[in-house]
Amino acid sequence: MSILTAEQKQIQAQATAFVAKEIIPFAEKFDKAGEFHPYLLDAARESRIFAMAVPMAFGGLEYSALTQAVVLEAWGYGCAGMATTLAASVLSMDSVLVAGTEAQKKQFFDPMVRGEIGSFGLTEPSAGSDAGNGKSTAVRVGDEYVINGSKCWITNGGYSSVFVIYALTDPAAGMKGISAFIVEKGTPGFTIGTVDHKLGIRSSNTVELLFKDVHIPAANLLGKEGEGMKIAMKTLDMARPAIASLSLGLAQRALDECVKHMQKLYPEKAQPGQTLQFKLADMRIEIEAARQLLYHAMNLRDAGLPYSAESAMTKTFSSDVAMKITTQAVQLMGAYGYTSVLAKLMRDAKIMQIYEGTNQIQRLVISRAVLAPARPAVAVQKGGN
Amino acid sequence: MSILLTEEQQLIGQSARDFAKEYLEPMVLEMDRTGQYPAAVVKQLAAQDFLGLFLAGEYGGAEAGYVSLVEVVENLSRVSAAVASIMVNHALAAYAIQRWGSPEQKKTCLPKLAAGEVLGAFAVFEHGPTPGVGAGALMATKLPEGWALKGTKAFVRNAGVAGAYVVLACTDPAAGAKSLAAFIVNAKASGLTVGAPYETMGLKGCPMADLVFDNVMVTDTAILGGSTDGSAIMTETLALASVAEAAQTVGIGQAAVEHAAAYAKTRIQFGRPIASLQAIQTLLAEVAADCHLARLGLRYAAQLMDDGEPFLVEAAMVKQFLARFGAKMLIDTVQVEGGFGYSETMPLPRLFRDIAGTTLLEAPADYPEKTIAAALLA
Repeated sequence: MSILTAEQKQIQAQATAFVAKEIIPFAEKFDKAGEFHPYLLDAARESRIFAMAVPMAFGGLEYSALTQAVVLEAWGYGCAGMATTLAASVLSMDSVLVAGTEAQKKQFFDPMVRGEIGSFGLTEPSAGSDAGNGKSTAVRVGDEYVINGSKCWITNGGYSSVFVIYALTDPAAGMKGISAFIVEKGTPGFTIGTVDHKLGIRSSNTVELLFKDVHIPAANLLGKEGEGMKIAMKTLDMARPAIASLSLGLAQRALDECVKHMQKLYPEKAQPGQTLQFKLADMRIEIEAARQLLYHAMNLRDAGLPYSAESAMTKTFSSDVAMKITTQAVQLMGAYGYTSVLAKLMRDAKIMQIYEGTNQIQRLVISRAVLAPARPAVAVQKGGN
Repeated sequence: MSILLTEEQQLIGQSARDFAKEYLEPMVLEMDRTGQYPAAVVKQLAAQDFLGLFLAGEYGGAEAGYVSLVEVVENLSRVSAAVASIMVNHALAAYAIQRWGSPEQKKTCLPKLAAGEVLGAFAVFEHGPTPGVGAGALMATKLPEGWALKGTKAFVRNAGVAGAYVVLACTDPAAGAKSLAAFIVNAKASGLTVGAPYETMGLKGCPMADLVFDNVMVTDTAILGGSTDGSAIMTETLALASVAEAAQTVGIGQAAVEHAAAYAKTRIQFGRPIASLQAIQTLLAEVAADCHLARLGLRYAAQLMDDGEPFLVEAAMVKQFLARFGAKMLIDTVQVEGGFGYSETMPLPRLFRDIAGTTLLEAPADYPEKTIAAALLA
């Protein structure tokens, strides 16, 4: 069960209104241009929505996980590209929430509160699904670390003020030698490489990050040396459901557009035949199931309960549903689908199955949990309630 | 009937592969980027006899049949489904004229279509639930001197570049779709204009636009087969469209699965090629199986056509199968290539955008199921 509180409903209404005014009217244009446009940050600045995950103590909105999910769903409904900008910035913050000191939080969250954005830099060409296989290094020299290497497919990279970068402090230790660092934009030696042109989410910025003898203060180390992988995994547990939210928004939009089209096509009968009616019903069922799984995972997180498996499940299920429904909507609408916003939804949906851990990696995690030796049974108390 | 290709059909398939390599590979990326109609390549299609593949020899056709047609379509689609789309919609117009045209109509039109002097286009869809119904429908009014056409045909492929259109129009407003008739209309006819080109997700290079008829006058000899029973023309030609589009889907899917397999062998993660992971193998295996089954299904339907047998139900089954598994071929192969595969610098995103254009169901979207069920329940 997942009934939103009055406050959450209000936030949802605000997000929906913002999306209708500032996102939907521009989505097609920026998708076509294939570029991120910073107007989004200006439009969102006053609302501090880019600081929705930042604790109030640091000037943020401190939204619960469920509330964040609701906002991202609304953004995904409008444009998964622009929603990716927000989701990726929250993702970068999550690492600091997981492992940051008070000073680091201030360093990282201040820009967010000002309406700026951040990036999470883990992936490298050799380290996609094999996330621990990165080659970038960070060498301690006095009270500094010197970073060398590169990161790829980094969302927001060209526009972020602050970055969480993962690099090897002990290459011999492999995955246990990875550490996480805060790196600020403009640090000498830190540059942006090629900009990626993608099948979808084209209004989000995806770039390569290049590090050549980049000196950062030792105080920018998040947690301890060697804790990088642990921090990254916790961060991704927190952030993965954001992809479920975006997917859900995409799927809901596809259904709504499809229904709108059907109603135009069959104005008198009000309904197409049962074949199509049932397809619409199935879409609605799948969207609702995806929504409830997401909200449930978020409720678990907000209650402080373990939610790692649910995080993987909701990301996988929602993104598969979004891919299926957007594809079906394009098909059902025929040439209308192929020449309308539906085509964008279908292109956008594809990345949801890939980024923040491919659905294959999620299934690996989930199946391992399923196949793990059963936990010792908890004695059932009898007689009580 | 044989489900295996004859030697001739194999040779034709090979010639299409060679053609695609020589003429399509060098231009396909640029065409996808600009959306420019590939006039020079279409000339080459004609030179290769691909534009008159199944037309009779007396009209200058190659008389190679429909299995050959789908072989060519599949093999061209492995490189450019957009060019195949141009060829397919031309073929639909040529098919309708050869099948239902009067001797006079055939003699006038088919040699030019076979030689590629004139490109054909088949215009069936309208901005409504069914052709012949609704406000925008193309209406044909009988006048003493012929017929006056007024209304709009929607989403016409080859619009603007075709020289001859076969269009379905409603001849009796009260009877709606039941009174459809097919007309051959010269692209230069007075009162006929081509709307703004649609921006499509893929298949870029194959033009798509509305045709607007503002009292376009055609003679009595323009009506196909001289009859006003166009519903059979529509149904059968759309069935051929289903089969030919299925060949496009399979060509795209085959190219994608081969690319993804090659990629998986070179992409190292977890210290080994991802091709060694069973999860990846399964994705590839499913796509390969879907491709194979669809190919058999569409080839079977084409063989029925070659044998002069009814093929509507088999065509609908292929359409229905690919509505479920067609787009999935690219959804899953892009998945194999992961973050790299999502980048437009890689080939699969173009194929992803293209394949979606070959599995569209068009309005009404439930016609494959209706066709199959009607046959079952008859």
